[in-house]
Amino acid sequence: MADAAVTGYAEALFAVASIEGDLSAVEDELFNFAQALRSNDELRSTLADGNVPAARRLQVVDDLLDGRASATTSVLVSMVVGAGRASELPSIVDAFIERSAASRNKAVATVRSAVDLTADQRDRLTAAIKVSTGKDVEIRVVEDPSVLGGVITEIGDDIIDGSVRRRLNQLRESFR
Amino acid sequence: MRNQWNRLLAAPLLALVVLVALAGPASASGESVGACMAEHLEAHGELDSHLLHDEAVQDQLEKCFEAPSPILPELNEIIWGGGAFLILFVLMVKKGFPAVQGAMDARADRIRADLDEADQAKLDAQSVKAGYEARLADAKSEASRLIDEARADAERVRADLVARAEADAAGIRERAAVESDAAKAQAIADLRAEVASIALGAAERVVQSSLDAEVQGNLIDAYIDEVAGTDG
Repeated sequence: MADAAVTGYAEALFAVASIEGDLSAVEDELFNFAQALRSNDELRSTLADGNVPAARRLQVVDDLLDGRASATTSVLVSMVVGAGRASELPSIVDAFIERSAASRNKAVATVRSAVDLTADQRDRLTAAIKVSTGKDVEIRVVEDPSVLGGVITEIGDDIIDGSVRRRLNQLRESFR
Repeated sequence: MRNQWNRLLAAPLLALVVLVALAGPASASGESVGACMAEHLEAHGELDSHLLHDEAVQDQLEKCFEAPSPILPELNEIIWGGGAFLILFVLMVKKGFPAVQGAMDARADRIRADLDEADQAKLDAQSVKAGYEARLADAKSEASRLIDEARADAERVRADLVARAEADAAGIRERAAVESDAAKAQAIADLRAEVASIALGAAERVVQSSLDAEVQGNLIDAYIDEVAGTDG
C-alpha cells in the first residue's frame, strides 16, 4: 500500500508539474527539499507529527520555501504534507524524479560526494555511466560529508562505490 | 478264658471243702468258759461238792478251759460264711466283674482314644509346625529377596548418580573450556577492534585533513575514469 501511495502521489506531482510547464525547476526544488528532510530529523518529525495541526505544518512549509522555491513546488509540498504523507515525501520525490526522467527516456543516477561536482565532471560522469551501464541518466548530486572523498553512484538497485569511506571500511574489515 | 473262669471258681470251692473237713466241734469253739462249765455241770444233775471231785467231770471242765482254734472257725460259721461267699462270689461274677471289666474296657478305650487323640494332636502340631517352618522359610526367602532387590536398587541409583555427576562435571568442564575460549576470542576480537578503531580514527583524521579541494577533484576525476573504464 505504501508503494502504491508513493507511486500515486508521484504521478500526481508529475501531472501537476507537467501542466504547470516548469518540470525541471520543480524537480530540482523538490529534490533539494527531500534531501533537507532526510538530513533533518527534527523537521521530518514535525511535518509528520499528526498531533501538530495541519495549518501549523503548512505554515512551516511556507516559511521554508517562501522565496526559495516556485509556487508550484510550494503547492505540491503543501499538498503532500497536508495529506499527512510528510514521512513519505522523500520517497515520493524520488519516484517523481524517476517518473520525470522516464518521460524523457532516461534513468536517475543519485551521486553522493563530499563536494559538489562541476558541470564538466557531471557531463563526464554522465557519459561514463552511459558507457558503463548503457543507460542514459540524469545526475542528481547529493553532498554528503560522510563520503569523505570520491563518489558513490546509485542507479536503481545498482551502486558504484568509489568513496574514501568505502576504502576505510575495507581497511576496517581487514583488521578483523 | 474258660480255663481262667474254671480256675477262678475252683479255688473258693477247694478252700470251702478244706475248711469243712478241718472244722472242730461247735462246743470247742465259739462258747464262753462259764457257759461251757455250766453246760457240763447241768448235764450231771444237781450241783454238789462231790461232783467237782469227780475226775471225769474235771476232765470235761478242763476241756472248757481249752482255747478255741485260732485258724478254723466253727462249722456253722463256715457254712454261712461259705454260702454268703458263694452268693457274693456269684453276684460278683455275674454283676460286679462285668461292670468292672466294662469300666476297665471303657477306661482302656478312653485311654486308647486319648492316646490316639494325643497322637493326632501331635501329628497336627507337627503339621502346624511344618507349616510355620515353611512360612518362616518363605518369609526368610522373601526378606532375603527384598534385601537383594533393595541392595540392587541402591547400587543402580548410586551408579546413576555417579554417572550423572560425572556427566555434569564433564559438561561443566566442557562449557568452562568453551566459555574460556569464547572469552579469549572475544577479548582478542575486542582488542583488535579497538586497535583498528584507533588506527582508522587516526587514518580518517589524516585523510580528512589532506582532502582539500584539489584532492577531492582528483578523486572525482579518478572515479569518473574508473567508471568509464569498467566497460572494459
